[in-house]
Amino acid sequence: MSGGKKCPFTEVKNHTARRLTNDVVGMVKNTKKMNAMWIEVTGCSGNIISLLNSENPGLYDILTGTVNLTYNNTIMGLEGEFAFEKFLETLDTEFILLVDGAVSTKEKGRYNIVANYNGKNITALEAIQLAGGKAKYVVAVGTCASHGGISAAKPNPSESKSVQEVLSRQVIKLPGCPCHPDWVVGTIAHLVGYGIPQLDNEGRPLLFYGVTIHDTCTRRGFFDKGIFAQKFGEEGCMFKIGCRGPITKTDCPRRKWNGYVNWPIGDNTNCIGCAQSQFPDGMEPFVKYTD
Amino acid sequence: MGKTITIDPVTRISGFLEIKAEVEGNTIAKANASGLLFRGFEKMLKGRSPLDAVYFTERICGICSTAHSMASTLALEDALKVTVSLNDNYIRDIMHGFEFIQNHLRHFYLLSIPSYVKISSLKLIEEQQYTDFRLPEKINKKIEDDYVKSIELSRLAHEGLALLGGKAPHNHGIFVGGVTANIDAYKLEKVKDIIRKAEAFVKNIMVEDVEIISKYYSDYFKKGISYPYFMTYGTFDRYEDPEITYVKPGVMKDNIKYNLEPDKITEQIQYAWYKKDEGLEEVDLSKLNAYTFIKAPRYLGFPMEVGPLARLIVSGEYKNGHSCMDRNIARVLETEKILGIMKNLAERVELIPNNQQVYSIPEKAYGVGMIDTTRGALGHWIEIDKSVINHYNIITPTVWNLSPKDESNLHGTIERALIGTKLNNIKEPIEIGRIVRSFDPCVSCATHLIGSAGDTEIVEVLV
Repeated sequence: MSGGKKCPFTEVKNHTARRLTNDVVGMVKNTKKMNAMWIEVTGCSGNIISLLNSENPGLYDILTGTVNLTYNNTIMGLEGEFAFEKFLETLDTEFILLVDGAVSTKEKGRYNIVANYNGKNITALEAIQLAGGKAKYVVAVGTCASHGGISAAKPNPSESKSVQEVLSRQVIKLPGCPCHPDWVVGTIAHLVGYGIPQLDNEGRPLLFYGVTIHDTCTRRGFFDKGIFAQKFGEEGCMFKIGCRGPITKTDCPRRKWNGYVNWPIGDNTNCIGCAQSQFPDGMEPFVKYTD
Repeated sequence: MGKTITIDPVTRISGFLEIKAEVEGNTIAKANASGLLFRGFEKMLKGRSPLDAVYFTERICGICSTAHSMASTLALEDALKVTVSLNDNYIRDIMHGFEFIQNHLRHFYLLSIPSYVKISSLKLIEEQQYTDFRLPEKINKKIEDDYVKSIELSRLAHEGLALLGGKAPHNHGIFVGGVTANIDAYKLEKVKDIIRKAEAFVKNIMVEDVEIISKYYSDYFKKGISYPYFMTYGTFDRYEDPEITYVKPGVMKDNIKYNLEPDKITEQIQYAWYKKDEGLEEVDLSKLNAYTFIKAPRYLGFPMEVGPLARLIVSGEYKNGHSCMDRNIARVLETEKILGIMKNLAERVELIPNNQQVYSIPEKAYGVGMIDTTRGALGHWIEIDKSVINHYNIITPTVWNLSPKDESNLHGTIERALIGTKLNNIKEPIEIGRIVRSFDPCVSCATHLIGSAGDTEIVEVLV
């Protein structure tokens, strides 16, 4: 390859979200931006933190260039009823609903109150059903929203459910614990600029969830040569200590995390299948050793 | 007859919080803080493989997951009698340090600053129901620009964590026996570079910003004053070398310093939505007088303040008061302090491999992991039986700060900080949010925790 040129394969993988967003920012610059609400429900708020880690493009560019975010508990200026009124106002507009967390249904949803409005407690269940019925698109961000995740882990004390289970409509699913910021940003950009991206039979965008981790693993060579790690901290393929890479579909090996510097297998630990619908119960034990 | 102010949601915190305050004249006379999320991690953890506790409990909290990986790893190392090499401790503390930096930058700029500075370039942040913004235009613009710059710095702090821990949040690299990374020259240089960049920002910009705010909002040195009771489990304290040491475990009560005695910690549920059913705790939303999912931990029967201010007071480095503004200042001073320690730790790291082993799980074991994390004192207690988790108990920092009243009707720390605070304008009670945020509460952490299955109301934590 001649000097100055970069491998197109790596470029595309690393910058899909940036490329999509740049295109879309150009498209929406002179038109009214679509509204979006990011609602945190039963979870750890790790997906909004992951979004704050977004780099290509960064958070500031997302908030000023792609969509008009009208509601998010973690960063918005308003509080109390004034904040919840933004939620209510947005319902009458064209908007994308992004849900971070599972929906708790025990005791009619009273294990998770998201607001007090006119003296009435608003449960997460009510808020999601209300907004989910009116949104142009619904995106489940992270494994809890997509499949129940750790919030619904056995014995599921809060009777948490996925967003899909409480809404009778199409829900785009972006599992991952947390969801990679590029997966969210890229999906939002696609929705704004091109509509719904091509999805697999579990509702995941093929762009990010098309192949298994094992397919493109940086340690695939070890597997092919039969060189296996016996425990954490070692080079070698993690297959024999329970790596979930062979069944987990994400682009982690190519994309990597946090400035694209590392990922769990790069840190000498196995994939724990955090983007799988059966996570965590069906992915355990996370840690096991070959005998 | 007083006026009741309800704020729900209290935004720009992590999780779901309602504050109800009764005002008499223009002073807050009563205050209740309600944590409004329950997940039930203790029940989920029962029966699972002990080694899975590290990655499982991280998912309690997305903003402080590294804290839980530290405490759960320490609890497991205690139970499994695993020791950690000096070099691995350095690397682990650097990872934990990056989490402090990420948290403090995000809390100060993204969560706290919009209550004092108008962020007019971002509509979502700019819109506020209050008008008490006091900075002259030029100074306001400077801090607004710093708000935007901080986004990249906090992202970079997570990049430093991921370099050593695989990814963030929910890292893989902090694990029983030390760390899983094999440190190399490239990683170490990059870590040092991120520390340098963060230090330049904090020293040159963040410290100045909090000084400006404390000047224009100096009345907040008289608002949000809580009990003079402070506690820390210690952090960056596994070394003798003062250059890499921050604070050892300790309690400061009425200006007198005491050693920390973990067996003096109790948890009460009088005003929390729990009942005892044959020794086991269950949720009871119909419980009379209860108003929160958060329990009331007490030390020798007293509510304690935990977090940056408590650490600086216990370590003897902060001599001013303990108001809303003192807490904001302490958070910034601590950010600078921890970056200094991280820099010194990085200087000491040797390029040697990790020490991971194959760990066998005993039939029965008990372990404790107590460490101060971003928001304060965090404890994990694990009991292993038949080689699986039989019981797991967690008391998070926010449970200490955001607890409800106890059996002696002593208010929790944040409730106490609100009570007695004078509102400048009763129609715009911006004080409440400012005071609550000065504690950096994380309700995601605080509201799914279950105490030991004792049969009295006051639960002794096994130590």
